[in-house]
Amino acid sequence: MNKVGFILKDYLVLLMILGLALVTAIIQPKFISPANLNNIMRQFGPLILVALGMTFVIVGGFIDLSVAGTINLVAVVTITLIDPLGQVGALVAGLVIGSICGAINAGLILTSGATTQAEALFITFGMSTVYSSLALIYSGGSTFHFWDLKEMPNMFEAIGAGSVGPLSVSFVIFLGALALLWIFHTKMAAGRAISLTGGNKTAARLSGVPIERSIVLIYTIAGFMAALGAIVLFSRVTTASPVIGAGFETNAILAVVVGGTTLKGGKGSVLRTVMGVLLVILLNNCLNLLGVSSYMQWAARGAILVFAIWLDNRKEVQGNQL
Amino acid sequence: MDTAGSEIILSIREVTKSFPGVRALNGVSIDVRRGMVHGVVGENGAGKSTLMKILSGVYKKDTGTIVFDGKTIDHTTPYESMHRGLAIIYQELNLVNSMSVGENIFLGRFKEMKGMRGTHAKARELLDSIGCKVSTTKLVSELSVSTKQMVEISKALSFQSKLIIMDEPSTSLTGEEMSLLVKIIHQLKAQGISIIYISHKLEEIFDFCDVVTVMRDGNVIDTKPRGEFSRDELITKMVGRTIENEYPERSRQVGETLMEVKGINTRKLHDVSFTLRKGEILGLVGLVGAGRTETVRAVFGADRVRGHKVSIGGKPVTIHNPKQAKDAGLGLIPEDRKLQGLVLPFSVEQNISMASIDRFTRFGFLIKSLEKGIGARHVKSLGIKTPNTKVAIKNLSGGNQQKCIVGRWMEIGPSIFIMDEPTKGIDVGAKYEIYLLMKQIAEKGGAVILISSELPEVLNMSNRVLTIYDGRITGEFDPEHIPADVIMRAALGLGGAS
Repeated sequence: MNKVGFILKDYLVLLMILGLALVTAIIQPKFISPANLNNIMRQFGPLILVALGMTFVIVGGFIDLSVAGTINLVAVVTITLIDPLGQVGALVAGLVIGSICGAINAGLILTSGATTQAEALFITFGMSTVYSSLALIYSGGSTFHFWDLKEMPNMFEAIGAGSVGPLSVSFVIFLGALALLWIFHTKMAAGRAISLTGGNKTAARLSGVPIERSIVLIYTIAGFMAALGAIVLFSRVTTASPVIGAGFETNAILAVVVGGTTLKGGKGSVLRTVMGVLLVILLNNCLNLLGVSSYMQWAARGAILVFAIWLDNRKEVQGNQL
Repeated sequence: MDTAGSEIILSIREVTKSFPGVRALNGVSIDVRRGMVHGVVGENGAGKSTLMKILSGVYKKDTGTIVFDGKTIDHTTPYESMHRGLAIIYQELNLVNSMSVGENIFLGRFKEMKGMRGTHAKARELLDSIGCKVSTTKLVSELSVSTKQMVEISKALSFQSKLIIMDEPSTSLTGEEMSLLVKIIHQLKAQGISIIYISHKLEEIFDFCDVVTVMRDGNVIDTKPRGEFSRDELITKMVGRTIENEYPERSRQVGETLMEVKGINTRKLHDVSFTLRKGEILGLVGLVGAGRTETVRAVFGADRVRGHKVSIGGKPVTIHNPKQAKDAGLGLIPEDRKLQGLVLPFSVEQNISMASIDRFTRFGFLIKSLEKGIGARHVKSLGIKTPNTKVAIKNLSGGNQQKCIVGRWMEIGPSIFIMDEPTKGIDVGAKYEIYLLMKQIAEKGGAVILISSELPEVLNMSNRVLTIYDGRITGEFDPEHIPADVIMRAALGLGGAS
């Protein structure tokens, strides 16, 4: 593949984001209104957090469909723990539960001897339904609201609607998570081990790279980030239902892949995922502003995902032996 | 066949090809004549495989012309070349493991064959024509490498191929299987089919090639009838320098016992026990599938094997996974470079450093400057040919990739180095360097377990040889004093244990 091709591939998402923003701004000036930009920033919150966690799973050569179930479970459990445990206690409990869900996935994958993405897909799909049904059993199917609590949970309100200067609190949480995860992935030994695991599990294992640790880490991170996403999500809508996380797993995977992280594992970056999420959200926002029906929006999203995978495979075909 | 040898079936003129950072072919010209076996030799990275992939349509050439069977070929695909009569049989065979022999031969052409009955009947005919007895309904996954090759050759014949390219076909063949292949090659030749035969093994080149082309660093160095090449001239032209011997002198500093392995029992291995001494190169000889690889994998903790005992330096050690093996001072060059050794999308540097991440980690953080040093040091000391250490390792030739894996372990400095087919698909020059490394490790008080399908290699390098047949150790020999055929008999399970 020639140089132009590489550049195109590497920066295609960025070009698409800019192009999309430009076109929309011209057709619909409302796009650049402060209200809309603020709206975009807030939408960014839950999805990017989940997608950042998902990035590690995909870079590690696996996949996680259980995040929707984790979000459901964490949302209803955390909100109901605010009264008995206090806000900080509930927050910590929620994050721990999410991490445990992830660790359980990893444990199942390790003990079952699953080594492929497809096996992981089915295991985590199964666990997603387990976590979701736990959420339904726990909540009895009901939805919890902030105004039902003994007193308004001001910390969660701040997470959902507060600002730090010009930035929303959820955006600040995202920036913090991004920085930590980026450093973890690119600067730390455990992050390198995860990339190597995704690049070639067998070779990594035979070189003494602890791939079991990598697997536990990627799923625990995904679970933790899903929990963080769940907290930001229910804080924003001040309501937690046991089906609040529906669709998050597919959107997160979509964002990671569209961002340019390869589903084959090994190569990818949380920064790419940020671009992927930006593109997905911008696309939704633009299509909304342009008055495109939600049915069409689904098709657009699907088409982008297929295009991203197609592009990724084309690169392999050209740069490598068949 | 009176036209054989006169007519040019394939003409390659001034073909060039570059990859990012690597110039793989530099104006290559070769003529292949009808009914000839045309040998192509050269070190790894000489450009042989790249050229063949251009011919078959996997890569596109940058410039130059290719005329095959009177037609100029510009853009082609592997599918088109097949139909045009140009077949290529890769080192890593291209068959669908989960399908039957017959289905593989006529893959995608069942309709033309009038269904499965016709497919199997025609496949039977083709296989018979090359004297292959395998059932057409057998699954390819159950076949040996040799039989798989027969299936590939039959597939090539089914397209009425005029030219068959064989890319290092003998790599995984035993002696007997090899003579069968030679027979088939002679038969194809008699039918007027041309063969391009790529190999590292000079014996084969001198055995049955009519014309030999030597390539080096992306250039054709010479093309001559076989009879006009002497062995020394060929080697010199291949490596661009003179090589005195194919093997270094045996090291002779065998000392006390370093490792003792007792009672490996699996479905495939039966009570395998052996000792390894300091300063020793221990060869494991046996057929592919006899249990050589399984034995070392069990020792290295690569497979889930329990119940055996390993002690190193007199102390019992537990090795249940490769990490524990590494910590106990073991290193492994795995059998399959691409699948088990390399992380292809990663850089040369990252591939070299991956076993020693702990060494450039401080408080969990990678110290990139130390990693860079590790990469650079081994690239230099092993003479790895690469534009720089940041290049993706998939752009390197097989021999250089193998050296990177050696470098990966040299950084750790294992006292027991297991090498499973370390010179597979590697050229003469790089082979010699790997032999020297083995010797160095042994002379520094370490030990090497060497597995190789090339008998001369094991016999010339090892201080001691164990033969394995059907999962059992059938003999222990001193290769310096016991003739090769006695050792081979033991490896074939014909008795003769000492």
